[in-house]
Amino acid sequence: MTLLRQYLRAILSARKLLITTFLLCFGLMIYLPFLMIAFRSVGKGWFGRLWLPPELTLEWYRWAIEVTNIVDITKNTLIIAVLAVTMATLVGIPSGWAFGRRKIPGKELLMSMILLPRMIPPIAYALGVAQVFYRLHLINTHFGVALAHVAVCAPYAILVLSATFEGLDERVLEAASVCGANPVRTFFHVILPLILPGILSSMIFTFTTSYNEFTLTLMTYGKDTTTLPVRTYLAIGEGYWEVTSAMSIILVIPSIIVLFMIQRQVAPEKLVGGFKGV
Amino acid sequence: MLKRGSKARSALFTLLMLLPGLAGFFGLFFYPMMVTVVRSFRPEGELVGWTGEHYVKFLSEPRARDVIVLTFVLSISATLCSILFSVVLCLVLRRKPRGHRFFRLTMLIPRVVPGLIGALGLLLLLGSRGWVNLFLIQFIPLVEEPIRFNYTIPGLILFYTWLYFPFTAVTTLSTLESLDPAIEEAADVAGANRWQVLRHVVIPLIMPGILAGSVLTFMAAFGAFSIPLIAGGNYRPLSVEIYKQINFTPARWSAASARAMIMAALQVAFLTFYMRILRRPSA
Repeated sequence: MTLLRQYLRAILSARKLLITTFLLCFGLMIYLPFLMIAFRSVGKGWFGRLWLPPELTLEWYRWAIEVTNIVDITKNTLIIAVLAVTMATLVGIPSGWAFGRRKIPGKELLMSMILLPRMIPPIAYALGVAQVFYRLHLINTHFGVALAHVAVCAPYAILVLSATFEGLDERVLEAASVCGANPVRTFFHVILPLILPGILSSMIFTFTTSYNEFTLTLMTYGKDTTTLPVRTYLAIGEGYWEVTSAMSIILVIPSIIVLFMIQRQVAPEKLVGGFKGV
Repeated sequence: MLKRGSKARSALFTLLMLLPGLAGFFGLFFYPMMVTVVRSFRPEGELVGWTGEHYVKFLSEPRARDVIVLTFVLSISATLCSILFSVVLCLVLRRKPRGHRFFRLTMLIPRVVPGLIGALGLLLLLGSRGWVNLFLIQFIPLVEEPIRFNYTIPGLILFYTWLYFPFTAVTTLSTLESLDPAIEEAADVAGANRWQVLRHVVIPLIMPGILAGSVLTFMAAFGAFSIPLIAGGNYRPLSVEIYKQINFTPARWSAASARAMIMAALQVAFLTFYMRILRRPSA
């Protein structure tokens, strides 16, 4: 009997070990690429079969800042992201309200239509966007690139915001009007505080989307509107792995900070969701 | 009369509120898409005339079949790998092992950082001087030479899985967590062992969640562009093939558009097929 119990316990602990190993491998698989980039970006003379770079240097960061003009590029990226977030939110609030609070004939159909840009490969309509923008002289302007980003950001904002508006409790609004608040007052004092978290999360998600967007930027960027992802791509093409690594670290840090910052406020799982009931 | 007036006004108001969304959809998606459609039927470099030659020319190339097959092989195998990996991961995370909050966040990392950076990191990690090969050479007795992962099809599938599994994992996890524990307890009481509970109760119940998530993974993998562009080497799926056409001087917009239309049509066709499987009541 004791033998059996010991045997069972051994299996149980082996299970635990297995689970721990699995999680460890998973963590390593996700984080090691970044660690490798980080070491590459500060290493010097790292050739052959060495586990770690023999010499450390910040030279590649200096290169990244001086040669690839990363300050201007970061500025471009941020301007474009802010423009795209603003536009997507301005589109998302009214449409989200209509989808969330109103009875619309054919709502399902309309919603899946709005979500269509997320189902067609981006490169397919990026081609059209590029041609239209060439005609309208929107190529190589911050506004133009941001507008192209709105094509992918707006469906997302509409989806998140319509869920927010849908979750608004009718009784709270009634209570406000019973207490004598006029619609304007109701909006600013009751509705806005309630939907603010939704707006915030929509803004965060559209920001990340725009910050990371590559395909549409590649089709609409120019000399003056190069963004960080595009510059990284060009740097990879140029073949300077060390400088590219330094740039990547600069590019990746804000995303990770944002992720760890927002994890308590909004469910970050929503970042990858996006379709209800497909 | 008054009531009908206010009703009409309210409908008008709703329409007005929908307008920005619709304008965005038609201006930024539908119209460009139509431009692509029209362009794909124009003779190269001209803005008038109609021709179907770009479709015929591309589809009659023997390489076209390879490109299309490659695109499907990559995206479908990445989807399958993601499903397998996600199910195991979610079953583990569900038991709330130590640090499960951290691993939940870790799961999202590939979706939060730009895909290019992930691909760059994987290229470095799996390269001939990367840590994976160093590890294999030092600790696995049979491996003497570095194994080539980068620029091979298995390597690409690994890259795709790394980048796109979170879609599947997140939906699987949320479905798994909304599962009523009473159902499993019932199966347990009825005398099923752990494996039977998993096989006959848990997996069938979370299947809709898994499939819904895997649709997202498939779509992302099918349309993947930045990853095969930098990590594909000689393997060029449709998206890179399209981009190559406009990188010629002069740019071959019509040829690119025709390929884009073929790609979009294939994706929509496959998704329709997939949705049909999805909607089928599970036996």
